[in-house]
Amino acid sequence: MIHLENVSKVYPNGTEALKNISLDINKGEFVFIVGPSGAGKSTFLKLLIREEKASFGKIKVSGYDLMKIRRRKIPYLRRKMGIVFQDFRLIAKMNVYDNTAFAMRVIGSPERAIKKRVKEVLRQVGLEGKEKRKPGEISGGEQQRVSLARALVNKPEMIIADEPTGNIDPELSFDIMKLLVDINKAGTTVIIVTHEHELVKEFGGRIITIEDGEIKSDENYPTKYHNKKTETEEDKK
Amino acid sequence: MKIFYLIKEGFKNIWTNRMMSLASVIVLVSCLIITGAASLISVNVTSLISKIGDDDQITVYLDYEMNDLDSIKLGQQLGRISNIDSYSFYSRDEAIQKYKEVLGNIYESMQDDGNPFGNAYKVKLKDLSKYKQTVDRIKKIKGVTSVSDRSDIANKLTKLNYFVTIVGSWVVLILALVTLFIISNTIKMTMYSRGHEISIMKSVGATNSFIRVPFIIEAMVIGLLSGVISAGVICAVYTPVRDMTSGIIGFIGESTFTVEQIMIPTFIVMSVIGLLIGIIGGYISIARYLRKEGGDILDW
Ligand SMILES: Nc1ncnc2c1ncn2[C@@H]1O[C@H](COP(=O)(O)OP(=O)(O)OP(=O)(O)O)[C@@H](O)[C@H]1O
Ligand SMILES: [Mg+2]
Repeated sequence: MIHLENVSKVYPNGTEALKNISLDINKGEFVFIVGPSGAGKSTFLKLLIREEKASFGKIKVSGYDLMKIRRRKIPYLRRKMGIVFQDFRLIAKMNVYDNTAFAMRVIGSPERAIKKRVKEVLRQVGLEGKEKRKPGEISGGEQQRVSLARALVNKPEMIIADEPTGNIDPELSFDIMKLLVDINKAGTTVIIVTHEHELVKEFGGRIITIEDGEIKSDENYPTKYHNKKTETEEDKK
Repeated sequence: MKIFYLIKEGFKNIWTNRMMSLASVIVLVSCLIITGAASLISVNVTSLISKIGDDDQITVYLDYEMNDLDSIKLGQQLGRISNIDSYSFYSRDEAIQKYKEVLGNIYESMQDDGNPFGNAYKVKLKDLSKYKQTVDRIKKIKGVTSVSDRSDIANKLTKLNYFVTIVGSWVVLILALVTLFIISNTIKMTMYSRGHEISIMKSVGATNSFIRVPFIIEAMVIGLLSGVISAGVICAVYTPVRDMTSGIIGFIGESTFTVEQIMIPTFIVMSVIGLLIGIIGGYISIARYLRKEGGDILDW
């Protein structure tokens, strides 16, 4: 699903943000990317969403060769991913419903399908009954849920989140992470860049540490919440 | 479905950014009114010129004392000049009649006793390039006091027209610069909300044309609205202004266009220009966000 081979990124000012990175991320993986500030984590995500083009190497994402992709095709690459931001990026003048529906309107979905799907997603992220609220009228945690709903609404193959809990209270961060785990369990690949080691330890999964533009470690840890939930669901059966 | 959504978004944008929309409309309207006024003056002056300088007629004025019989005899001498194509007698009575019509109010005020005109001939030349020699020959005929061609006035008006065009172009140029400055500043002011929205649109996979459409529609509506308002203002003041000027110089009234004649073209031209300015302005202001590569989503 994601394939990087000897990828380097040198910014125009000469900063070498990523050095010779190679890695694969498969469908359905739950990945944390950690590392100190300035390590190149965001740069890595920017390469995946083709906000930046790699300077050297090979990158393939969802069947697109990002070194050769034509500009006109980039929007279609991005429709395969849901992007979640640290600062939520909600449109202030739109209510929760419209902010979520926005992602579907942008790709030209029919209004009836939008209605059905938005309702579904808002229930999934626990925002039922708050459809009419504006971003300014809900908490930071709820705003991030809206942002998550918008990322999910088009059923992306992967969720890409750059410090999704960076702007919200720790207690609420935990809930957001749990939501991401649930999304992952439904089969969506989840890639999260974060600074919060507590959360990473708590949730586990594949943890990639980037330092100074290089992959320092790449290991799999037990995924407590994945297992637990799966177990309880199986128990029910 | 999609296009309705985009159009709705465009209209919503206008309302959401109503201060900026209003500012743009005001700037555009003032610009269009001045441009329109200058063009209309120019068009009317051109029409005046063509009416006055109608064909290549020259007028040969005869001695004021000369009676009608002698005047008619003089015509034969004119006929002998080879470059004269045709000539017709223009009596002093006709002249005063015409003068009354043309000058209107002014004539009333400067009226005194008697007819100030002598008899005259209207002469048409065969070859205009020999104009000078022919006029010289006419002047040598005894009893001819002066020769004037109507193109004198036409020349003056042409100069006026030139003046209007030059001054008009400068005013329009300066206004265009002011417009550009104001618009680019208003765009800068709204850049935050716009850039924010565009970065979100890009992140959810909107194509450039999709991103562009609401902004273009917004700019189009503002442009069209400005065009229609400008045309409305111009048409509203056109007749009073025309009446006023023709009150001073009578023949302006008969040789210029009426508001009915200019109304439809004015509305069409103004709307089209407004629309074009809108489309081009919208396109340019949005292009910088769309052309940007890197730093447009995560970094925004
Ligand atoms: N657009 C850019 N132009 C030039 N240099 C950049 C640009 N973006 C990032 N960098 C540099 O590249 C390096 C990696 O930046 P990046 O944003 O990927 O780090 P990060 O790991 O996300 O850091 P943080 O945890 O602070 O968000 C840094 O040295 C940064 O200054
Ligand atoms: Mg970062």
